[in-house]
Amino acid sequence: MTTAQASSDHISLLISRSKISTEINKTGSWCFVRPGYQDRTAPCSAACPVGEDIGRIEMLAVQGLFKKALETILQENPFPAVCGRVCFHPCEGACNRGEFDEPISINKLERFLGDIAFLDGFGPSILNLPNNGKKIAIVGAGPAGLAAAYFLTRLGYVCDVFEAADAPGGLLRWGIPSYRLPSDILENEIQRIQNLGVRIHCGEKLSEDFLIEAKERYQAVFLGCGHGRSTGMNIAGEQMAVDGLKFLYRIRNGEKLPMQGTIAVIGGGNSAIDIARSLIRLGAKPIIVYRRRKQDMPAFEHEIKMALEEGVQIQELLSPVRIDQDGSDYILSLQEMKVGEQDADGRARVVPKDSKTQSLRVNQVFSAIGAEPDEVWKVPPEKIPEILTLSHCTITQQDLPIVFGGDLTNSNKSVTDAVASGKQAAMALDTLFQKGWENINDRLSECRVGNSPALSMEIYMGGDRKNRSRHIVAYNEVNIDYFQPCNRVVSLSVPLQKSICSFDEIDHTLSTTGAMSEAQRCFNCGICNGCDNCRLFCPEVAVTLEDNKRQINFDYCKGCGICVVECPRSAMVIEEKKV
Amino acid sequence: MMQLNIPDRDYLNSGHVGCPGCGATIAMKLALRVLGEKTVVVIPACCWSIIAGNYPQSALKVPILHTAFATTAAAASGVRAALDMKGDTETTVVGWAGDGGTFDIGFQALSGAVERQEDFIYVCYDNEAYMNTGVQRSSSTPYGTRTTTTPGTEWKKTRKKNIVEALAAHRISYTATASIAFPDDMMRKFKKAMEMKGGPRFIHVFASCPTGWGVASELSIKIARLAVQTNMFPLYEVEDGVKYTLNYKGNRSIDEYLKMQSRFKHLTEEDIQTIQEMVNEDWQLLLRKIGP
Repeated sequence: MTTAQASSDHISLLISRSKISTEINKTGSWCFVRPGYQDRTAPCSAACPVGEDIGRIEMLAVQGLFKKALETILQENPFPAVCGRVCFHPCEGACNRGEFDEPISINKLERFLGDIAFLDGFGPSILNLPNNGKKIAIVGAGPAGLAAAYFLTRLGYVCDVFEAADAPGGLLRWGIPSYRLPSDILENEIQRIQNLGVRIHCGEKLSEDFLIEAKERYQAVFLGCGHGRSTGMNIAGEQMAVDGLKFLYRIRNGEKLPMQGTIAVIGGGNSAIDIARSLIRLGAKPIIVYRRRKQDMPAFEHEIKMALEEGVQIQELLSPVRIDQDGSDYILSLQEMKVGEQDADGRARVVPKDSKTQSLRVNQVFSAIGAEPDEVWKVPPEKIPEILTLSHCTITQQDLPIVFGGDLTNSNKSVTDAVASGKQAAMALDTLFQKGWENINDRLSECRVGNSPALSMEIYMGGDRKNRSRHIVAYNEVNIDYFQPCNRVVSLSVPLQKSICSFDEIDHTLSTTGAMSEAQRCFNCGICNGCDNCRLFCPEVAVTLEDNKRQINFDYCKGCGICVVECPRSAMVIEEKKV
Repeated sequence: MMQLNIPDRDYLNSGHVGCPGCGATIAMKLALRVLGEKTVVVIPACCWSIIAGNYPQSALKVPILHTAFATTAAAASGVRAALDMKGDTETTVVGWAGDGGTFDIGFQALSGAVERQEDFIYVCYDNEAYMNTGVQRSSSTPYGTRTTTTPGTEWKKTRKKNIVEALAAHRISYTATASIAFPDDMMRKFKKAMEMKGGPRFIHVFASCPTGWGVASELSIKIARLAVQTNMFPLYEVEDGVKYTLNYKGNRSIDEYLKMQSRFKHLTEEDIQTIQEMVNEDWQLLLRKIGP
């Protein structure tokens, strides 16, 4: 017997085999920080006057969940198709993607979702509370009044809206030309509000007496009747100028108003631009005369640009001093102005430049320098004890609670701010009835989007959005390694030569593929879209996924922090572990 | 991952003893997602022989054969032969070694096995030094690195060995680089390698080491990504040793990568410039191989 044979007989071959998992080692004890999921606020939604949950809307749009995306808008705004056309979209200015390449085309995406709702006949289902038996009267069926009715109805109130004109819509119907907002789009969205049960009574012009009668039938009144009278210029010959707002009203009312020759439009707001662009379409040559500089005009930049492209002239730093008639023409005397010091609000103050004047011979003069309340009772009273001035409305406790909203109180007179006013009023009244006057401020501030004055009805009604952190995600918190530069989609529009010959809408709605690829560009700042990076990279296999919900298993998490850094959209946070 | 049709299942267990943020662990996790249950992993001395667990524990849900430092490729050849004897052609044999066990100590076994056309996937997870034993330099350690064996002013003055070119020179069917920071690309390459049965396939995975490189653990993926974005570690594939495909074009400057790591913190601007020139030279060389 050899030695080798002897050893193989007596010593069996041992191969040690591990049979148990390392899972018995709770490596979570190594950890001194704790990562966690925390949805945060996107800058766009904080910049939006109505606080729409834009990051989430775009996330749903990418997934093709258009109905859900629309419902997410409708939580905060009853007018996606309208605002998708006329909003001045401050969201896009705040968009983090703007620092990367170009902001998301949020406004056009909103319009797409608003339009597809009607094309596809979505019956949106969003949370509405049951009738609570209280009735609210709303004066004015403009964007503020309709928004107030919409939100109050969702909170369980019965709303009667009284409108002086023979159709609802207010400024949306009478003040914005149809090339920016076609009537059928507006009517569809008003119909959706009526479908909730809002009753609109047209042709009912109310007087001050109504406030006294109202307490018999209503528990509160919302005044959103806007400014009924154009502001005067206080110059000689003023009566020869055409009231611009009335002119816009007549166009929207279907009157044929052929125009010719040179027409001066005095003013620098959106109405002045709307009037000038309408005049182009009617065959005239409008000249906008504005007392400050072009960059000081309160009109939206995009609108000014469009007006210039269409051939509107803008003459700046000229202040009208008188209008004289000369045969069939008018002579407009203009004081030349120069830029002085800055105003308290940061706008450049203009002062007369010596005593230099010039004159402008025109065929007609239109005035559009603003509007003011036509009756005293539409202005919030000053000396009453119970008055609460909020960012977008003023609530008073007289014989019954009266809220002044919309253009009556808003400093920024935009459609979206009017909607914000209606929403704020609805929340304030509901809080007043539920929790009392003294709790209005606190309750409303709980519903703020980030640090902005914008309020979220979803938060107010206890939706998931209430769990979102107030922290506004900054550009440097986005992990841009996960994004490729990509230009924003451009919507098609009617060629200029054609568009200035009619009042048909100029821009087309995005196509479905265009909208989805644009939504794909969105960083979804602060909002988990289930990209799964956290789970994919976790070296500890400590991220679990159940029912589409990710969680961190702190039995094993070593706190490396990769999940937080590799979250493309800053929807995770890390904090020191509490001992 | 949807495009690759890879099941959403991990074969890595929690509770392993890898350092927080370990890139080598992520590399194994991603690889096994693709390779799946029918895999045998052969591991020589390296970080992973520790991460895999103390006897009688295992950090993997697939069999591991622990082997001596120099013998990964030889042991993998043997495992393959044994499986073939059993008629099991389905199971993938994977040699899984660090850079020390691949570039240095295991190199002759690897070179011999791939020359014999052994049927396995050999993965080098590269953390650019002998990390497990306390950061000693290997032939994979890049120029400019301070390690415990290249300390102080004696930081490493020689270039990193180009292991992919060495393997491509063996004319094997598939050689590729991959990075844990590009999981889609990495998993695609593992899938491709897995499906190319019949000969050796070599994948060089860049696996960051927060502990050894002096980088915060949460930046483990970010630093691996920067290596690719700066062309320090280009992502490419070589088929049959001649057909080159580039997967990513980086355009960032190397100082961003170097300055994030304390292993490079001693470098002067001139040294950084020297490294940038080396990176540029290697990149141009690679582009020439890729062709128009």
